[in-house]
Amino acid sequence: MSQSFEVDYAKIYWTIKTGIPILGDLKITETLIVSWIVMIIITGLCIFLTRDLRVENISKRQAFAEMLVEMGNNFVRNNTGGNKFDKLIPFVSALFATSVVSNLISLVGLRSPTADLSTEAAWAIVVFIMITSTKIKTNGFGGYLKGFTTPIAVMTPFNILSELATPVSMACRHFGNILSGVVIDGLIYWALGLASAALFGLIPGAVGKFLSNIPILGIGLPAVTGVYFDWFSGCMQAFIFCMLTVMYIANAAEEG
Amino acid sequence: MNYMALMAMTASAETQDLVTLVPWTFIIQIINLFIQVFLIKKFLFKPINDILDKRRNLADKEIKEAREAKTEADSLKEQYESSLTNAHAEAAQIVSDAQKEAQNKADTLVRDAQEEAAGIKARAAADIEQEKKKAINEAKDEISSLAMDIAGKVVEKEINEADHKKLIEDFINKVGA
Repeated sequence: MSQSFEVDYAKIYWTIKTGIPILGDLKITETLIVSWIVMIIITGLCIFLTRDLRVENISKRQAFAEMLVEMGNNFVRNNTGGNKFDKLIPFVSALFATSVVSNLISLVGLRSPTADLSTEAAWAIVVFIMITSTKIKTNGFGGYLKGFTTPIAVMTPFNILSELATPVSMACRHFGNILSGVVIDGLIYWALGLASAALFGLIPGAVGKFLSNIPILGIGLPAVTGVYFDWFSGCMQAFIFCMLTVMYIANAAEEG
Repeated sequence: MNYMALMAMTASAETQDLVTLVPWTFIIQIINLFIQVFLIKKFLFKPINDILDKRRNLADKEIKEAREAKTEADSLKEQYESSLTNAHAEAAQIVSDAQKEAQNKADTLVRDAQEEAAGIKARAAADIEQEKKKAINEAKDEISSLAMDIAGKVVEKEINEADHKKLIEDFINKVGA
């Protein structure tokens, strides 16, 4: 058993040399592989749920699929107050599904793609572009620029800062929560491993040597802490991210 | 010993920093997100929304049909009610017409009977009168011839037949009056 604690870093499986100056080499990391697994899971689930659809006398599976769609519709419609943002529904739903599945996939031992800042940054940038384009669409480009000088011109730097803080805070909030879950899970496993090694090392002879290499105490407790750090935190962060997305875009459309 | 070998193997795999922004991962994740949006739209939202729309249309159609049926039933009811009222009025009309006709017929019958009776009575009276006249005339003739005979026998005197007749008739008229 190693005595020092190491966080579970994202592995790089292949490096493809591209020679592009700023982007650098294309690295196929654990993040990307697991992201694709997540996408396959979500799409497979969608296809499974929407098989054999009927108008009447529906199956439980179809009822569940309809419930999911209605939930997505209601989530966006209730938070934007109307049908104006119906185009956002698939986007928000995809974001939520990807986020939840990515967060929870750590339960089966894979490394969450959301424990990589690049993932959240990508999402946050997309959302930021959507917010900005909505603002420009609502107020015109001049109106958008003028919006930075409200309520007084002196506020302009702060307004720009707060505008930029939106995607940064969204990305970092989500990333930080998931990463902390990963770190704490790692810590708990490491500590329990050490504890069981110390405990079973007390048994003399070959039996004690053998047992002390197995982190027996690691069974049980992580499942309990996982309820919060994986399940609750994972679902909560996905929800918060989507909620903020919808709210920001709805607000952007209202600013006059 | 085994464990150490495993550690060495995993350590040999390259890892990235814990908090870092990798441009390629960033770009690929954006693309992944949009692919996911497309997939979720195609495989979940489109079919489910289609089926929901279909069901909504079906429900709307049924409500519409029910409403139409109700309107039709209402109009039929109204029609029946009005025709029933008409039938009542017609029946009343027929009864009153029949009564009137019967009354008229009865009146006519009575009047005819009365007229006939009056006619019979009048004819009878006329017959009686005529018979009476005839009898009187016959009696007059009889009397005048008798009187002439008697007078001829009594007076024995030849009298002009015409004067004689006149004289006798005057007499009879005076007697008859």
